[in-house]
Amino acid sequence: MAAKSMTLLWGSGSCPCWRAMIALEEKNLQGYNHKLLSFDKMEHKSQQVLDINPRGQLPTFKHGDTLVNESYAICLYLESHFKSQGNQLIPDGPEEQALMYQRMFEGLTFYEKLGSVIYYDWYVPEGERHDSALKRNKDGLVVELGLWEGYLSKQGSGSFLAGKSFSLADVVVFPTVAFLFRFGLSAGRYPKLEEYYALLKDRPSIKASWPPHWLEGPEEELLLKDI
Amino acid sequence: MAKDMTLLWGSGSPPCWRVQIALEEKNLQGYNQKLLSFEKGEHKSKEVLEINPRGQLPAFKHGKIILNESYAACLYLENQFKSQGTQLIPEGAAEVGLMYQLIFEAQPLAQKIGEVLYYNWKVPEGERHDSAVQRNKEALKEEMKIWEGHLQGCGDFLVGKSFSLADVIIFPVFAYFIRNGGSEERYPNVAAYYKKLRDRPSIKKTWPPTWIDGPGMGTLKDI
Repeated sequence: MAAKSMTLLWGSGSCPCWRAMIALEEKNLQGYNHKLLSFDKMEHKSQQVLDINPRGQLPTFKHGDTLVNESYAICLYLESHFKSQGNQLIPDGPEEQALMYQRMFEGLTFYEKLGSVIYYDWYVPEGERHDSALKRNKDGLVVELGLWEGYLSKQGSGSFLAGKSFSLADVVVFPTVAFLFRFGLSAGRYPKLEEYYALLKDRPSIKASWPPHWLEGPEEELLLKDI
Repeated sequence: MAKDMTLLWGSGSPPCWRVQIALEEKNLQGYNQKLLSFEKGEHKSKEVLEINPRGQLPAFKHGKIILNESYAACLYLENQFKSQGTQLIPEGAAEVGLMYQLIFEAQPLAQKIGEVLYYNWKVPEGERHDSAVQRNKEALKEEMKIWEGHLQGCGDFLVGKSFSLADVIIFPVFAYFIRNGGSEERYPNVAAYYKKLRDRPSIKKTWPPTWIDGPGMGTLKDI
């Protein structure tokens, strides 16, 4: 069975890792080998990871002898290799396909803007931090959120990011949306995103891969509650 | 087909260049195109904002379809025109996996180049630190070493024996690095790859027009 020849090294509370796990579930590849590593204990910089990913980042993924790092790469690889099993994640029709790719790649910017706020202290050494910079990053995230509220309004209720079917765009972007609400984003201020979140949070592939430590309790600092 | 396509682009922008290379490789010459000036702020003009609310280039239309992300446009073109022109996605699991991995590794590559080149443009004066400038330079050096490693033992292309989406997406970034003073001595594998591909027809034809006039700024010469 294909899943048995797969290994995923991952960490809890990582959008990139979550994307890969959703994709594996959607392609019916449950049963893959996996190892949960701790970011706090710097296990992502351990020799075990560096041997597979010189960047010392998670997720890292092996399928037999094929090694694929980078979450989007893992997702695209899985859809390409297992096209005919599980859910089809890349639509065939040109319009839907184009919209799917467009949202998928805008998802990189979306994640970057999220990270610039919630990971500010992680990325920026203490002596270089400025309230003005964090404020600018928050403003940038607010603009980005406005774009996605707009995209979801245009799609209509009950719709996924690229149309009537769940796609790779949802696989890669949903984790970002889940993180937004985890960190306190106001559902009242972003109703379309809240609706999208509610639509997907109980989807089997998403529920099965929900970050385990999120189940233990809420986030300590709701960094996004005021934006 | 190409007649239903329009590309708004700017010279010297790796994302724009990728789409131009992909269009050539897929035999879609004859597409409508308009060269805009970043310097004059034309990427923020109404004409662009109507297609791309982000005010960024490239902005690409195929009939009613709009694609404003270079990777999205390249993947769309390869998928929709699979059977014409160059095959840009290889056969074989290992090569496909490597190709996808490399195109996403190109993100930190481009980002780290930008953090060095555009530091003063992105960071307001009161927030600048020598320590940050140093850190960004070190990060770019480390990044370039990773790519030297990726290219070690490579043939003419980034993945296997054929030109692929990895080359479409990444060649422009290496060219940009070298254009801005990146050292060919310190990064011989990158330089060799650059020299091998710069005369490929799709690349030569779409070489940024503003680069033909003379050398660029040597901002990256110490990296």
